[in-house]
Amino acid sequence: MTTRAISATAATAEHSPVRRRSGPLAGAVIACWALLCRDLRVVLRSRSQLYSSLLLPLMLLAVLGIGISDGLEPSSSVIRDGDYVSYLAAGMIALTALFSSTFSSASFYRDRDSGMLRTVLASPHSPRTIFLGKALAAIVIGSVQALVLLAVAVVIPGIDLDWQYGWLGGFGMVIAAVLLLNLLLSGFALVVATRIRTMQGFHLVMNLVLFPLFFLSGAFFPLGDLPGWLYVIGLANPLSYAVDALQVAAYAADTRGFIGPAIDFAVLGGLAVVLFTLGLKRSPQVI
Amino acid sequence: MGRSINGTDTLDAFDGQLNGLLSTVQEANTATQEAVVALERACFRYAGGYGVRDITLDLPAGAIFGLLGPNGAGKSTILSLAAGSRAPQEGAVRVLGSSLAEKGNDRLRARVGVLFQDTSLDPLMSVRETLWLHGRLFGLAAGDLHARIGELLVLIGLSDRSSDAIGALSGGMQRRLELARAILHWPDLLLLDEPTLALDPDSKVALWQLLQSVNAQGTALLVATNDVAEAERYCHTVAFLDAGRLVRSGTPAELKRGLRRDSVRVEWADPPDAIEGTLSAWEGVGSVTRAGPHLHATVDDASVFVPRLFAFAQGGIRAVQIHESTLEDAYFQAVRHPFAPNGRE
Repeated sequence: MTTRAISATAATAEHSPVRRRSGPLAGAVIACWALLCRDLRVVLRSRSQLYSSLLLPLMLLAVLGIGISDGLEPSSSVIRDGDYVSYLAAGMIALTALFSSTFSSASFYRDRDSGMLRTVLASPHSPRTIFLGKALAAIVIGSVQALVLLAVAVVIPGIDLDWQYGWLGGFGMVIAAVLLLNLLLSGFALVVATRIRTMQGFHLVMNLVLFPLFFLSGAFFPLGDLPGWLYVIGLANPLSYAVDALQVAAYAADTRGFIGPAIDFAVLGGLAVVLFTLGLKRSPQVI
Repeated sequence: MGRSINGTDTLDAFDGQLNGLLSTVQEANTATQEAVVALERACFRYAGGYGVRDITLDLPAGAIFGLLGPNGAGKSTILSLAAGSRAPQEGAVRVLGSSLAEKGNDRLRARVGVLFQDTSLDPLMSVRETLWLHGRLFGLAAGDLHARIGELLVLIGLSDRSSDAIGALSGGMQRRLELARAILHWPDLLLLDEPTLALDPDSKVALWQLLQSVNAQGTALLVATNDVAEAERYCHTVAFLDAGRLVRSGTPAELKRGLRRDSVRVEWADPPDAIEGTLSAWEGVGSVTRAGPHLHATVDDASVFVPRLFAFAQGGIRAVQIHESTLEDAYFQAVRHPFAPNGRE
């Protein structure tokens, strides 16, 4: 195409009026939705991120679960009949959410480095709206992936989930727990991302904080069987409440030996709101 | 800028007519509307020093206003003040009658478009998705947006590439896409930071023609550039910036007023003291500026001046450059050092 062709076309372009949606709230909702759709599309195109978030928990479920079930035959007040694979399933759902949410939140840095973040922040929305839209995307992506892992776990013949509140009630609780966990993780990621300038630093903090917390969350072993001091640390760990809620909803036959859903959801909900508010309070200078 | 006749003269003549027409439109707009961007004694200081200090300038409605200066002169800082991403620490910045940096003034951004210096496209998105996201962020309704994207894709010549990933586009195409994104919401003000940086000559011309067509529709352009030729050719008004200060501003013709036809730059090992006064007194010599070993003179006829200079110098002259006087010479005269796009040495 020659430069003259561009000029000729340009001259004919009409400066026509636009109908814009009224009201800042409607505009903010549309902006969040547009960012959510965009991030979902990008994640669907980042196959490696998609697969790695699911494959590691599935591999742990298969290798660690079967290995410990058959090799050690663990007995515990919570683990039924040495069936460690079924016990591990709830923890792996939480791990999937953890991975996925961390990856999605790291897209903040990718968008900053590509210049995309600067562009969207130049739109007629407050940085809070933009970060809310991106956090919503992280929550949706993390939740969908965690629920995909649950669906896989349900169809694996060796995994025995009791669904003590019925299939529908239990599934509802799992969705609520997964959403709250992702909200909490996205809030935490937002707090970190708005304070740490490099992606390496972000991953370092996420790994240093989240993975030790995850090991002490009851995902790999029941908290109730731990020594007192370790049990107290476990109770101070926010991830314990997410894992507990998932175990109570899907795996457990009753609530004995668990923290219980009322406390789980109260703690998860409260912390998620606090972290999210903290994260949205501060926006980085990117332009 | 040579004096020889070549195949681009017809093109230049056409562009001259186009510029004349656009200038008329701009003057008509200017006469009826107030300043789109107004900086009043604005200062912004970074941790390492001043970005800009004591800058006062008005961008009239409908104008193409060029901020010309080397890297570090303060061009990008002025753009970020106008975009509202930074607030002046002293003085005031008003955009379209209000301050963009004020809290709760987000809606004003809907009237401003920004083209950043560095690429700001997501390589994982397609051409159409890029425009769609921007349109939704700027509140365009789906039906309007669909039509607008189609119109812009024709405008930038990417209709047949709308589904392509950004990574598959050339640098020039990406820049045109960024421009389409910046004007998607019909801004009243377009802020452009080095819009043609790293583009090949054809892509530069194509982009400027697009910018002129956008300006002809009433959008004011504030352009940061270190390309003197572009500023002279396309901008209605140019401000010379140096080390965060505004040195001089005016139309290219005003800025070049006083320059003689030819410009001569001389590198002289050890010129005598008061050489500027000596040379200025010669017949046919206009202004003479000295910056260390560099001497800059605008003269009526270089073919008369240069032999006389060599005879006067009796050795010591290392290099001489002769060209038709341009805005770059006006910059040298105003700022009193040569224009170095990458910053002063």
